[in-house]
Amino acid sequence: MEIVVLLKQVPATESLIEIADDGVSIKSDDIKWVINPYDEFAVEEALRIKEAHEGSVSILSVGSEKTVEAIRTALAMGADKGILVNVPDGDVYDGLTTARILSAVLKETPFDMIIAGQRAVDDDNFQVGPATAEFLNIPHISMVIKQEIANGKIKCHRTVEGGTAILETPLPVLFTTQRGINEPRYASLPGIMKAKKKPIDMKTITDIGLDPATVGKPLTKIVSLKTPPERKGGIMIEGDSAQAKAVKIVKILHEEAKVL
Amino acid sequence: MAQYIADRRDVDFVLHEQIQVEDLSKTELFADFNKKTVDMIVKEARNLAIKEILPTRELGDQEGCQFDNGKVTVPESFHKAFELLKDGEWVAMTEDPEWGGQGMPTTVALAASDYLVGANYAFMMYAGLTHGAGKLIESFGTQQQKRLFLNKMYSGEWTGTMLLTEPEAGSDVGALTTLAVKNDDGTYSITGNKIFISGGEHDLSENILHPVLARIEGAPEGSKGISLFLVPKIWVDDDGSLGEFNDVVCTGIEEKMGIHGNSTCSLMLGGKGKCRGMLLGEENKGMRAMFLMMNEARLLVGLQGLACASSAYMYAVDYARQRIQGKNLLQMMDKNASSVPIIQHPDVRRQLMMMKVYVEGIRSLLYYVGMCEDQVKICEDAEEKLTYQGIIDVLIPIAKGYVTDRAFEVCSHGVQVYGGYGYIKDYPMEQLLRDCRITMIYEGTNGIQAMDLLGRKLGLNKGKPVMDLLGEIQKSIAMAKDVQGLEDLAAKLEEIVDKLGKVALHMGMTAMSPNVMNAFAFAHPFMEVCGDVVMAWMLLWRAAIASKKLEEGAKKKDAAFYQGQIKSAEFFIYSIIPITVGKIKAILTTNGAAVDIDEKSFGG
Repeated sequence: MEIVVLLKQVPATESLIEIADDGVSIKSDDIKWVINPYDEFAVEEALRIKEAHEGSVSILSVGSEKTVEAIRTALAMGADKGILVNVPDGDVYDGLTTARILSAVLKETPFDMIIAGQRAVDDDNFQVGPATAEFLNIPHISMVIKQEIANGKIKCHRTVEGGTAILETPLPVLFTTQRGINEPRYASLPGIMKAKKKPIDMKTITDIGLDPATVGKPLTKIVSLKTPPERKGGIMIEGDSAQAKAVKIVKILHEEAKVL
Repeated sequence: MAQYIADRRDVDFVLHEQIQVEDLSKTELFADFNKKTVDMIVKEARNLAIKEILPTRELGDQEGCQFDNGKVTVPESFHKAFELLKDGEWVAMTEDPEWGGQGMPTTVALAASDYLVGANYAFMMYAGLTHGAGKLIESFGTQQQKRLFLNKMYSGEWTGTMLLTEPEAGSDVGALTTLAVKNDDGTYSITGNKIFISGGEHDLSENILHPVLARIEGAPEGSKGISLFLVPKIWVDDDGSLGEFNDVVCTGIEEKMGIHGNSTCSLMLGGKGKCRGMLLGEENKGMRAMFLMMNEARLLVGLQGLACASSAYMYAVDYARQRIQGKNLLQMMDKNASSVPIIQHPDVRRQLMMMKVYVEGIRSLLYYVGMCEDQVKICEDAEEKLTYQGIIDVLIPIAKGYVTDRAFEVCSHGVQVYGGYGYIKDYPMEQLLRDCRITMIYEGTNGIQAMDLLGRKLGLNKGKPVMDLLGEIQKSIAMAKDVQGLEDLAAKLEEIVDKLGKVALHMGMTAMSPNVMNAFAFAHPFMEVCGDVVMAWMLLWRAAIASKKLEEGAKKKDAAFYQGQIKSAEFFIYSIIPITVGKIKAILTTNGAAVDIDEKSFGG
């Protein structure tokens, strides 16, 4: 079973996020970068499938050179090799562009299965997995919390509102992982030592047959970024009795909040 | 909360900018440990520590260990954390890869342990003792003993302990009475009672290996007649399979002030006459074996102290930034002034600085000792190797005794910064303070550390190691003298080093004179003076590096860190070293009041 995991490096959730002076990006100087947590589920699931069915796990990412660190962490967890499409630091791609780049690599890479996180926690746009599957013209199943593989087919449990849907499709497939599918392992010390010697194939946009002049132009544009408004303090309703307080609440709801 | 356990920037600074751990990768033995690998190891240790081990600290304290009819259960949450520790193979970081260790430099292992031990040291003691017991087998065991035990221990499948203390043999180990009688098959029948055995019984592993100090029947009295034995809880047959229960019975566990998650056991060996042990090393050479392991064990206790202190500092800084209480002193008279975070109050800042300087100085000292350990392993020049070993020997009582004394003070400052909340169980401070306290007692009380420094280390090799250490300090002074803005700090350190040299000579002479008792009554103050100087050295060394980095133009966040390094050196040298000068004056009087006072005059 040849498995490819699509992995994105994102700011650690514990990092303090500040909007940069341009108003459309974030300050990246003091940020610690980690594997997107949903992609960690994807790496873990790929390793479990490999352990059950043999084969190999490749990690595929688009990013600048610092992304190597995230790929190495996945290699330390037990993945076999990495592919990084190396793009200049600071280049921002929308989901569709990223999917186009990934699928260009995947068209030249043998695989039986592609696994990705259901979304990345930085831009939360959910598109890269499904769009990559579309470009490759293979089936995709999203939000998977359980999978079984047998006789060239995969059966996936997918979360839907209020329940679970079970879908089946022949391989090759792309599926995206949802919280609950597994508990990702930690990199072991021997894993860390071995990771250093595992290959990471560095490619440029030109290497994969795309034109850097056009691929870097996303179809969507970030107009502005804003932090959520700060929470205001609550209002204490004063009054001599419960009835007096109730009258005040009703008045506020009616005249200020205008919900009554 | 900004950061837990340890400041990442500080750990990186000591590893890469001060100690320059990457240089080790130029040697064949540590070629695998380049900067990227070291960073990844520390990062993953931190990840595991914060996500999986830290949550067990409070749980372990509340739940504690339970004793029921000879069986001991550890806090429930420890089981998963121990499995993860084993899976990641973090139990034997520095040990020989031939036997399942990871062959890591001690310096790197210390940085990883800074987080792992810092997350919950009561928990990490199970692994730490296993590593120590394994190391005894690796150093003194036969090939067969290594084959039978090492892989299982270094993987954490079986755990280890150390059985020294008996009810009447604590600090005076030579008084022990546990008896070993040789059997026809070469094993020994062991009988005796041991107390205060950390991890002596628990449910984390199916077998526990106890290195035991005992006296072979007819052996000389005192420490010269002590041998080391390996006593498994369950006997291990020659083919490696588990045999029968080896009559090692846990008769109870202690209710302690802190480290509730670690079982402290009383063990009865051979109560039914069926406890067997195998000799580890040579007959009557047990104490020698112990001494060889002592430096490492004491360094680990120093690290436990740092673990509590560093955690306390991280919490205290965060709390002081968040906690709004009182007006800024400059706006005291302004009725409309709003309350400010307590980090703006000068006395809170003083306490935070006290915490900062000791945490940083201690971290540098421990990693430096780790680096000396690594140098001993890689040095090809026999004389250079001896020099490094000498420096380690002199620094160990400071790295254990002085460090844990200060670590406890740091935790106490942490409680104080929290005010009333520091004293209640809803906040982590009181646990850190309680957990920290034992580090001043076990593995040789801090009084014994002070006596070791004065009685053994000062005159070691005719004083050469002490002179070598002072030489190393002089190198940092020379470096700092060339840095603009540090000239006066360097001059002040030079003055105190000069005074230390004189007081050391005075103490050495007094210890060999009829006033020997007075000298030892001042052994602890002498250790404090040595420790203060070592702290000042480490902080000035840090400041010199930081100043250079600032001159070269550092990034915004780095700049704040580097400026903080210069302030630490400034605070310590201007606010604490003058107290050291006073301590030196006291030592030079070597007043005999503590020795001369009649026992009855103590009253009571």
